[in-house]
Amino acid sequence: MSVSNKYRPHILVLPEDDADRQIANGFLLHECVQLRSIQILAEAGGWAEVRNVFKDVHTDEMLKYTQRFMILLVDFDEQADRRQVMKEVIPDSVADRVFVIGLWTEPEDLSRHGFPRREEFGRTLANECYEQRREVWNHDLLKHNADELERMTILRPILFA
Amino acid sequence: MIKRIYIHNFRCLENFELQLALMPSSLLIGRNGAGKSTVGFALQMLQSIARGTNRVGSLVSTGDFARGRSDVPIRFEIEVTLGGKAYEYTIAFELPVGFKEVRVAEERLACDGLDIYSRDKAQVVLARTSSAGEARFLVDWHLVALPLIQEQNESDPLRIFKTWLARVLILAPYPEAITGDSERGSLTPDRKVSNFGEWFSGLLAHSPAAYSRIDQFIKQVMADFEDIQNPNTGKESRSLLVQYQVESATLSLPFASLSDGEKCLFICALVLASNAAYGPLLCFWDEPDNYLSLSEVGHFVMELRRAFQNKGGQLIVTSHNPEAIRQFSDENTLMLFRNSHVEPTQVRRIADLSVKGDLVNALIRNDVEL
Repeated sequence: MSVSNKYRPHILVLPEDDADRQIANGFLLHECVQLRSIQILAEAGGWAEVRNVFKDVHTDEMLKYTQRFMILLVDFDEQADRRQVMKEVIPDSVADRVFVIGLWTEPEDLSRHGFPRREEFGRTLANECYEQRREVWNHDLLKHNADELERMTILRPILFA
Repeated sequence: MIKRIYIHNFRCLENFELQLALMPSSLLIGRNGAGKSTVGFALQMLQSIARGTNRVGSLVSTGDFARGRSDVPIRFEIEVTLGGKAYEYTIAFELPVGFKEVRVAEERLACDGLDIYSRDKAQVVLARTSSAGEARFLVDWHLVALPLIQEQNESDPLRIFKTWLARVLILAPYPEAITGDSERGSLTPDRKVSNFGEWFSGLLAHSPAAYSRIDQFIKQVMADFEDIQNPNTGKESRSLLVQYQVESATLSLPFASLSDGEKCLFICALVLASNAAYGPLLCFWDEPDNYLSLSEVGHFVMELRRAFQNKGGQLIVTSHNPEAIRQFSDENTLMLFRNSHVEPTQVRRIADLSVKGDLVNALIRNDVEL
């Protein structure tokens, strides 16, 4: 998907893998998400690849396109320092436009926690963002994203009509 | 919404069943010749019946029997939920030994488990209603009964089912043949969408407010789009004109002169507007990514998915395009397999297969197996 105008505020989502991409698809299925403002990129193939792709490809483009925001969607694999490791490659000049979020373990665990359908899970998360609620977002699998979510409130006008 | 489609002995589809309950949108993938488009042809056959084609010879031919096996009937079954009621329609065609023309062997329409009518060979039994008793009559074996049976009123389940089936959108656009000309209105575009102008006229006559949905979608994809007009070009003919504007510069183009991809964007707009105006519809779109720029494919597919998810209706698409495939998920992606031309098509959800890594790369490697 391509955003219609890259000189207007827009969001690129770089998912770690297919499962994360499917959760992101579900997010876009929410009727209030502005589809033209957000684009899900092809899966990177692992959290380390998200880090590498961001560093090698997107850093320069973030500098070029100042209205671009990026969400790096990675699995934390129960590693408390995962976000910090990711942020090591994010230059200070774009840091306020880059966000690192993801599940505490991995998407394969969603079924065990009562979320059997990835798209439905993503759509629920979108609905909570739209309604400014934090029920599922406060689930054990997601609550470590709280500070990042707070920063992400600047994306609301871009995301929702 | 379709809950189930069953097709037997039709081309490459033998004992073939698609379970689509709880799937507002789904993607059919598979190698060339796996049977994806054949699913569309089966749906088109049913759609044609509801649109009034009742001669069996215009619907199926002797060549449609799987591997020429004419001793086994061709069977279609479709189960749908409309307005909270469950409809089941079955039709089977046979070619007895020594006969040259395919004929109807069996036909049945039921609502909530009760027959509206049933048919065995030529004998049709119209179920008892509150005002009339059971009726029995004969129909030519070479005619399908569904288009022939008189509807009682607007709320007649027969009418509800037939109207829904007639309005099913089976799309495989051939943009070069789309001119935008029309002499009448229609809510039933053909497979190639060659009657786009009629569809546009019919939609706006049915629901003038549909224009705002068309306008909204097109303005998102073409920043310089101003409006689309449908002026008279003769006593009973019209031709679409698309207006563009950039600041004070304006341009008016006949619809026929748009690029193939641009025409497909307008088709998408009409699908979205039609589903909102006279849906919920079933839309089967064979390779909707054809003709589109790579940057547009994902948005286009997701826009369709979302509309059918949130406004009701059901979308089935086929694709080989990685960007289109990525807009779906394991739970709504159905893989069609066929080992050879003499073996039938099999279907599995990706969620029920073990695909290592990302699906698109697995497809490129041809590593997705039963």
